[in-house]
Amino acid sequence: MKTSRPVAASLAVAGYIVMIVPILFVVATAFTAGRSLKFPPEGFSLRWFEAAFSYDPFLSALVSSLELALLATLLALVIGVPVTLAIHRGRLPGKGIVEGLFLSPLIVPELVVGLALYQQLIIGLRLDNFPVLLIGHTVLMLPYAVRVTGASLALADPGVEEAARGLGASPVRTFFTVTLPLLRPGIFSAGLLSFVTSFNNVPLSLLLQSRDFRTLPVTMLDYVQQSYDPMVAATSTIILAGTVVVAVIAERTVGFARIFGGINR
Amino acid sequence: MTTAAEFVGVTQRFGDFTAVDDIDLAIPTGKLTTLLGPSGCGKTTSLRMLAGYTQPTSGRIMIAGTDATRLPPEKRGLGMVFQSYALFPHMSVAENVGYGLKLRKVAPTERKRRVAEALDLVGLGHLAASRPKKLSGGQQQRVALARAIAIRPTLLLLDEPLSNLDARLRVQMRAEIRRIQAETGLTVVLVTHDQDEALEMSDRMVLMRAGRIMQEGAPSEVFGAPANRFVAEFLGYENFVTDADGSLTTVRPEHLTLGASAASGLSIDGVVTDVAYRGVDRLVTVETVDRAGETVRLVADVRDEDVTARPGQSVTVSAPAARLIRLAA
Repeated sequence: MKTSRPVAASLAVAGYIVMIVPILFVVATAFTAGRSLKFPPEGFSLRWFEAAFSYDPFLSALVSSLELALLATLLALVIGVPVTLAIHRGRLPGKGIVEGLFLSPLIVPELVVGLALYQQLIIGLRLDNFPVLLIGHTVLMLPYAVRVTGASLALADPGVEEAARGLGASPVRTFFTVTLPLLRPGIFSAGLLSFVTSFNNVPLSLLLQSRDFRTLPVTMLDYVQQSYDPMVAATSTIILAGTVVVAVIAERTVGFARIFGGINR
Repeated sequence: MTTAAEFVGVTQRFGDFTAVDDIDLAIPTGKLTTLLGPSGCGKTTSLRMLAGYTQPTSGRIMIAGTDATRLPPEKRGLGMVFQSYALFPHMSVAENVGYGLKLRKVAPTERKRRVAEALDLVGLGHLAASRPKKLSGGQQQRVALARAIAIRPTLLLLDEPLSNLDARLRVQMRAEIRRIQAETGLTVVLVTHDQDEALEMSDRMVLMRAGRIMQEGAPSEVFGAPANRFVAEFLGYENFVTDADGSLTTVRPEHLTLGASAASGLSIDGVVTDVAYRGVDRLVTVETVDRAGETVRLVADVRDEDVTARPGQSVTVSAPAARLIRLAA
């Protein structure tokens, strides 16, 4: 990489080292043949991967986490995208307040949100844990849905939607044939961010889980508190591999530049 | 002369700002009408009201004899070309042009034929499969035109269609749009701030200022007899002389002569302040005092090579009475 900014480049490299090296240690220890989370690993084996794949609490928690993250992402997009449109395209009074409201979950501590939901919905209204978890995660993701799709909408030429109207498309038709395809990269990246946020979330899940519905991060946390063996490292490595696969698919199909640029041009 | 569309007492306010102020305007069928004026004059707002993208605060908009004031854009059947072209980036050129036909449920074979026809009309048949972003600005503009024409609109609306093109292409496209208008017989409304464009392209031009219509008519009528100082200045007149009675007269630079004094008409003494050599002619600026006692600068477009003029020299500037245009204040 040729660069004329040595300080920024050094900082970037330092940043990568700080972020990536600890992860590499985890990956390395996952392949140990020994019984503890030690570095350097003692020998090489896949036994902890076998163990992780046959450990039922992790498997069912993985399914729960995926289920929750997928549903919450869908909900956040279904609510967030129209809200974004209303904020950017509509003649909504008090746009700033509405946008602020939808971005507020970013700054309100998650524990507070979790506690509030627990008090009001689980204790108060006696709702099941799963719908409350779903509500909590959805709320947490709304800022991403609103912000990221909003950024791509701000870049899009409103003339394109007007052109569709002029050619005979109703507002609904315009949304599905023009606006939505235009925003696809933005929506995709909002979805990706939301999914990852939900999948990694601990505070909300910790407060709102039940005995028969627990997410993977919480289950792993519980596990680490009791036994410090390399199975957690193996599970982490599997998740990491999954993330890399998703990232590669995203890069191949849409491209990061477009995902984070947010718009089809 | 039949009327394709009409503004009847139309006003558009945005908060305190009056963008269009009680205008009445008829758009003649089969002709090219230009809305001309500086930015903020209300020309684009008028076009957008005609297209249905914004609703007038008061007044009515008639299209093909019926009241269309409250109709949404998709119910008006008009073709619009935007300044930004506004092509659908996720569709091919052919899909862009076919979009309106698909919405009208035109059968695929017929649709294909009409898309090809529209693309041929703008000379882009060979690019049907391309994506818009692969095309040059001029080509994108033609696609936008084809897309608007393909739906066989009652009116074709062009919002500053040439302002994003380079100078040479802009001049070419003027003739091109004229040709397309003549071939299709479409009623066209064009918005521009470029007086040359308006003069060259229009059958009828409408000059606007601060939301009002200043003057309308055929380009030769408007240019030959500007109604007031604003119209005259906007069309490039630069010589204004106030008479003793306060009446304002203008004369074109090429009608002013240096030296000889006219028997009747304008004859005024002054001092040359600048001579600009431009090859085929020279622009001579003369500072003088008019009959109202105001210092004015007159510019004479001199083609006669024998006439010498140097800064500092005293001269008589004159014009025959037939060339003087009286203006309303």
